[in-house]
Amino acid sequence: MRSRRWMRVVTTPSGAVAVALLVLVIGLAILAPIIWGDAASEVNDSAPVQGPSSAHWAGTDALGRDIFYRVLVATRLSIELAVMASLLGVVVGTVVGTAPSVLPRWAGRWVSSAVNIAVAFPSLLLVLFFAVVFGVGTTGAVLAIGLAFAPGFARLTQTLSAAVVGRDFVAAARVAGVGRLRILVRHVLPNIGEPLVVNATINAGQALLAFAGLSFLGIGVQAPSYDWGRLLGEGLTQIYVNPAAALAPAVAVVIAGLAFNLLGETAAAVIGVRTGPTRSGPLPATPGRDEPIDASGDQPVLAVENLHVAFPRDGRWATPVRGISFAVRPGEFVGVVGESGSGKSVTALAVSRLIEHPGVVTADRLDFAGVPMLSTPERELRPLLGTSLAMVFQDPTTSFNPTRRVGRQLAEVAEQHQDLRRGPALARAVDRLRAVRIAAAERRAGQYPHEFSGGMRQRAMIGMGLMGTPKLVIADEPTTALDVTVQGQILRLLSEVRAETDAAILLISHDITVVAQTCSRILVMYAGRIVEDLPAADLTRTPRHPYTKALLAVVPDLATDREQPLVAIAGRPPAPEQIPAGCAFAARCPLADERCRTDDPALVQVAQLHRVACWHADDQHDQGTMG
Amino acid sequence: MSELRFEHVSVRYGSGRAALTAVDHVSLTVPSGQVVGLVGESGSGKSTLARAAVGLSPVAEGRVVLEGTDVRRLPRRHRPLQMVFQDPYSSLDPRMTIGQSVAEAMPRAAHGGRRGRRLEVARLLELVNLDPERVDMLPGELSGGQRQRVALARALAGRPEVIIADEITSALDVSVQGALLNVVRGLQRELGLSMLFISHNLAVVRYLSDVIAVMYLGRIVEVGPTLDVLSRPQHPYTRDLLAAASHTRHGLDDPLVSIADAEPADAEPADPHHPPAGCRYHPHCPIGPLVHADRRICVSADPAEGAEQRPHHAACHFTEGGEHLLNREEDRHVRGH
Repeated sequence: MRSRRWMRVVTTPSGAVAVALLVLVIGLAILAPIIWGDAASEVNDSAPVQGPSSAHWAGTDALGRDIFYRVLVATRLSIELAVMASLLGVVVGTVVGTAPSVLPRWAGRWVSSAVNIAVAFPSLLLVLFFAVVFGVGTTGAVLAIGLAFAPGFARLTQTLSAAVVGRDFVAAARVAGVGRLRILVRHVLPNIGEPLVVNATINAGQALLAFAGLSFLGIGVQAPSYDWGRLLGEGLTQIYVNPAAALAPAVAVVIAGLAFNLLGETAAAVIGVRTGPTRSGPLPATPGRDEPIDASGDQPVLAVENLHVAFPRDGRWATPVRGISFAVRPGEFVGVVGESGSGKSVTALAVSRLIEHPGVVTADRLDFAGVPMLSTPERELRPLLGTSLAMVFQDPTTSFNPTRRVGRQLAEVAEQHQDLRRGPALARAVDRLRAVRIAAAERRAGQYPHEFSGGMRQRAMIGMGLMGTPKLVIADEPTTALDVTVQGQILRLLSEVRAETDAAILLISHDITVVAQTCSRILVMYAGRIVEDLPAADLTRTPRHPYTKALLAVVPDLATDREQPLVAIAGRPPAPEQIPAGCAFAARCPLADERCRTDDPALVQVAQLHRVACWHADDQHDQGTMG
Repeated sequence: MSELRFEHVSVRYGSGRAALTAVDHVSLTVPSGQVVGLVGESGSGKSTLARAAVGLSPVAEGRVVLEGTDVRRLPRRHRPLQMVFQDPYSSLDPRMTIGQSVAEAMPRAAHGGRRGRRLEVARLLELVNLDPERVDMLPGELSGGQRQRVALARALAGRPEVIIADEITSALDVSVQGALLNVVRGLQRELGLSMLFISHNLAVVRYLSDVIAVMYLGRIVEVGPTLDVLSRPQHPYTRDLLAAASHTRHGLDDPLVSIADAEPADAEPADPHHPPAGCRYHPHCPIGPLVHADRRICVSADPAEGAEQRPHHAACHFTEGGEHLLNREEDRHVRGH
């Protein structure tokens, strides 16, 4: 897997250029001194300081030596020194950077403080400082550059390893009695390796430049050795006679520096972002399978027919939502329930136009308040969504901007969509906070999100949805992050909102008890399809789909027999890029037969307001018990 | 096998104004071979208490004792105390095969040789109902429930006498939760493990535990035999938890009815940085000064004093609140102390 990622680095255009340049530079570093070593040091008194000619492409230096050959031969020393310096920097940096996690706490603190101070100095200043300390010469320059780069690297290592050390698998290893050093080598370093390698590559390019600089200033490589920096310095003295003498080494420095930096940058981009290739072939054809939604009665707030959502993944299409049809009518409280990966949250995002590229949303019909969402341009859609659609997300800690007061964040909605001025907007925000039963709303409006508890933040989020006049509130797992004693309050608030504003509510939850307790109608989702759509009152009495029955059976409660094993559904849902033919639940279903494995059942009406997608929906004798 | 005892354990974080006592003088015993279920809301200190036992949070006061030995004095290589973490997606190293992860936790001396270790890994995986063929898979290839079983196998690799399970099902889908709990209970009984089982889900705790302890704001407010605590809850907070849990069950049978029920004090949870004086639950308590103006004692006196004499060691001045079930005689006797 790792090698495949590195292969991807090579296949990008800039990556390919970087690798080609690197091969050239390394090839020269190895071969040039062997082939042209003698030619480069051949003194020719008869032709000093000549311009470019067919015999000497870049002319000759003061001793009549061929500058072009000298540039080629200098590749080895230049690269060697740059690599040695950056290796030194990387090793010292890694050791110092990981030391805090191995040393006793007080010692670790000293080390990190030292690193923090060192990072504050520009690295070029450090290079010069160390160069003076270690003295003029090659060794001194290597030490100077290496040590000057170490603090930056140490800082990076420290930050990366702190993130890994905070994860549970390190805690688990500590509990298992694994020593600190072993944790560092087995758990921390492998997990921060890639960014470190990328950074080291970029460092090597910078070390090359720094070295050229030192040699140019005359405090790097000393005669008779020579690297590009020295050649550059010598070339500069005769720049008016022969500009090529300075240009040739300069070009070499640029090419080699580019090779290292480009490689590092592309690797960072590919490893960091981890996007798949964008070419995934055409979208699979998606004919509608379910019965069209009932057109009679009120106009639905939300009408969805044959909705598909697809994401490209490794050259294929993953389809977390595969053709669902449902309608939500004004004032209706609809619950969507299913396991993780069933497509319930993706459905919510698709409905509110929050699926970002490269995801693709298609539907025969996706109407919100009578407006076709897929064909209307976003500019016209935004005011409608801003005032009529409210979203409540699972994690109330991340849905507010932590740096702004809660009241202002609510007021912003009114300023944006209702053209209210600052004062009236804030007054409305306070009023809405009061509407969601937040005590001392004026004071609370002036507070920051972190001063709110989880339950209160979730209320404020609902209050933000009420700034407009919502026709639909989509609540995606609104109680999952809350304590049981607070969950009921939030659900009750949603019910009140529905009763007072006649807004429809789409409540998404993995917990069938939450949905059953609050909603009037329930959609059960499995592997991207709606498998059952029934009134909540029928949920415990007449569920038809084996999956619905299983979901009801697996919830332990305060009356569960403690002597019997708990009920579970064997197996796991199919991955969204590997949906089997036939019914997706067949592999876990006790009723599955041949037909279930080949033909996917459509969602069809079996009773008043009751739709089921199962070939065995009429097998009433089964009670849905599974082991 | 072994008894795990928390003796007046306190855990503090930060200092000065930001100081937070996450666990405040908690004493709790996990009897040998039994399961103690620890319930409470987030921020009540359940996980901190668990992490204190395995040395992951600093114990400021008191000590944790395993079979008479302070756990801090246990040799590093022999770990009779193991822990299973909440999130199976972060508790396994993504770059190690599950076999390596399990093998790492095995005592170095045991099962000499690679072959012996490999056999032991296979045995452990079988113990948690995982196909030993999967030994070379990476965690990324497994589902959440399977990963959590690997984490359990890793905990068992250290030949523990006590296992601490910290919210091990809360990151899992309810459809696979039962399978994991069955494995946990089977192993606990088969191996005679002592266990501290932490969960916010009262139904799950009830199913698995012999003893229930209820934690609120860093304190244990009630502890007793599971069925006893659930049928005769002494502390009003336990009753609230129980109401919330049975509420959901109630809702499953009678949709839309339960919403109308009023709940105790719609107030916000207390701030752990500044715990309320006296009884920490008094700003929310349905039988405290909010409702009965004469119950000033809840604000002035800490009910932790004398809790040992009350039924279920309840930290409440008015434990007879469970009047419909409580033995009056016993109650009067207790209050006489």
